[in-house]
Amino acid sequence: MSLKSERRGIHVDQSELLCKKGCGYYGNSAWQGFCSKCWREEYQKARQRQIQEDWELAERLQREEEEAFASSQSSQGAQSLTFSKFEGKKTNEKSRKVTTVKKFFSASSRGGPKKVAQEKTLKQGQLGRERNTDNLLRDLKEIFAPAWELASPSEEIQEAKAASPSINRQASLETDRVSKEFIEFLKTFHKTGQEIYKQTKMFLEAMHQKREFSIEEQSECTQDFYQHVAERLQTRGKVPPEKMEKAMDQIEKYIMTRLYKHVFCPETTDDEKKDLAVQKRIRALHWVTPQMLCVPVNEEIPEVSDMVVKAITDIIEMDSKRVPRDKLACITKCSKHIFNAIKITKNEPASADDFLPTLIYIVLKGNPPRLQSNIQYITRFCNPSRLMTGEDGYYFTNLCCAVAFIEKLDAQSLNLSQEDFDRYMSGQSSPKKPESEPWAPDACLGVQQMYKNLDLLSQLNERQERLMSQAKKLEKDLIDWTDGIAKEVQDIVEKYPLEIKPPSQPLAAIDSENVENDKLPPPLQPQVYAG
Amino acid sequence: MAQAGGNPRSDGDSQQPSIFKVVLLGSSSVGKSSLALRFLKNDFREILPTLGCAFFTHMMEVDGKALKLELWDTAGQEKYHSVCHLYFRGANAALLVYDIAKKDTFHRAQNWWKELENEFQPEEIVVILVGNKMDLEDSREVTFEEGKTFSESNKLLFMETSAKLNYQVTEAFTAIARELLQREEQHGGPAQQKNPSIDLENSASQKKGKCCLD
Repeated sequence: MSLKSERRGIHVDQSELLCKKGCGYYGNSAWQGFCSKCWREEYQKARQRQIQEDWELAERLQREEEEAFASSQSSQGAQSLTFSKFEGKKTNEKSRKVTTVKKFFSASSRGGPKKVAQEKTLKQGQLGRERNTDNLLRDLKEIFAPAWELASPSEEIQEAKAASPSINRQASLETDRVSKEFIEFLKTFHKTGQEIYKQTKMFLEAMHQKREFSIEEQSECTQDFYQHVAERLQTRGKVPPEKMEKAMDQIEKYIMTRLYKHVFCPETTDDEKKDLAVQKRIRALHWVTPQMLCVPVNEEIPEVSDMVVKAITDIIEMDSKRVPRDKLACITKCSKHIFNAIKITKNEPASADDFLPTLIYIVLKGNPPRLQSNIQYITRFCNPSRLMTGEDGYYFTNLCCAVAFIEKLDAQSLNLSQEDFDRYMSGQSSPKKPESEPWAPDACLGVQQMYKNLDLLSQLNERQERLMSQAKKLEKDLIDWTDGIAKEVQDIVEKYPLEIKPPSQPLAAIDSENVENDKLPPPLQPQVYAG
Repeated sequence: MAQAGGNPRSDGDSQQPSIFKVVLLGSSSVGKSSLALRFLKNDFREILPTLGCAFFTHMMEVDGKALKLELWDTAGQEKYHSVCHLYFRGANAALLVYDIAKKDTFHRAQNWWKELENEFQPEEIVVILVGNKMDLEDSREVTFEEGKTFSESNKLLFMETSAKLNYQVTEAFTAIARELLQREEQHGGPAQQKNPSIDLENSASQKKGKCCLD
């Protein structure tokens, strides 16, 4: 009885375990209740949406930035904010990916080396209990297919689309586009082109099988392949030297677009750990000023700060490229902008003494994503002749120097005392700004102008208030003065009152007191003389 | 074309000149960039780099042979010394520049040499010691003999120059080019020599006759 009920309980559980999408297969809580197939579809969709969104965001940001900086009015604060947002999203995406993959496997009953399986899921986005073999087969077929014969690559795309919706991923679109271009390009070489195509196909196939090898071995294979193909082109194809470079570039583009996912920042290496270490290090060094590095760039000049921003954008853009050569091109573009910035500031062409510090400053300011992975990837899979010689190689070497310097950077290299350096590193205090400005030193011109204007306004306000108070005081003084005068007059009037004495005697009495009066002779009488 | 390692990029085609990578080393403000600029400006009146003077390529002809020099300027500040070995990769030649009016720059040039010695086999790289700023004869701190002695004991080429007065600048680069071509000829391109010390000595002494002041 009890056994029966228990069984019933299990039964109920099992019905709940069916795929949420109702396809009839069993679901798995590790796949959020979907069956492996539906989960994969959902996951792919979500992932693609995320990629699309990120892409759009990045594009929009760049557009905004360019617009804003064209008028050199945009706010630097906002810009760095958007960058950090972008970066945050990126890491979000990454961590999400990792956790889902982990979830994916924690409940999986599959044995076998976890790493291998993980790698496959991440890279192919296709793993299912039932379909695993299918997919592998299809993959192999795709590689083994005599693709030169299927001259129209659109067929290939259609085939892929029909095979499984999951294979129809964004990455494959780019891969297909590159394949198409490659085939078109090879057609100009006629028979040699055909041979090259065969060679590359064989190489890709071999690389597919070597997927579990160490990255150094894979890198070595690729380098061997470059050399081998170059020799072939020269000896058998009789390809003229000026065309060689172009051909090698195309080959590199084709194979690296295909291999990128498997060999960029592979999990068998500690590239990712190094990336994070560098990123953390650069964040910790946020307080480094251009003055400490002796950077000969004056960002107060609008054109210069414009160049600096462009250089930062270029170096960040490097991570989005797949082909080593395209990544190198980003570094070169960044370097050109740096040279421009120095030239405008110093008014003379920059030398290496100026360039390297500025590049270091740009890297510190930009904190480009996955810096170590990118450098490692380029070193491992770029055509070596391009790294050791040539302009691209020169700038790449400088970037390596910059990163090495940042990793080793100490108090002495910034002309600071050890105590100061430690204090800044621990975040206890930040270096004193040259002037006690209320705005961040990296704020853009618009913001700086705004702060300056605000300052001016408050000064004006103050002066006006002072004026008002003085006017009031003057008014008061005037009133006081009249009052004072009035009071003074009053006082004087009081002190010396006006006394009007009444007339005491008539005028006749003036000489009344004169005793001698009667002694005076009588007044003369008029006498009439007979005339 | 796609050779790995520090070999000059020489294509099988004989018309295509070999490309040699030359690294400019020395303390800041000893005149590395000025030397390079003077070299470029002087020879062919090419259009000068307007943007920056850190990386140049320069075609030249020595003894009827065309070759291309690729000059890599490096940051000379003391603090970047530790990372500068990264520039060495694949270099065919190095210019060790010092200021004859500043003793410490001479010592630093010697340090650079030590670093080069660690990184390369003696036959792998052509090194020339250059005492620049000969125009500052009055305040000279490093004598001609000092430079000469050091370069001889280490089997380097040696020359004193003045980028300002355009004295011996082209000669210094030509000396490198000649040496590079000679080595390439002797060893058929790839630098795999059997008895490098001997031919280095030979070529160095040959050069000395030409470079030193008469």
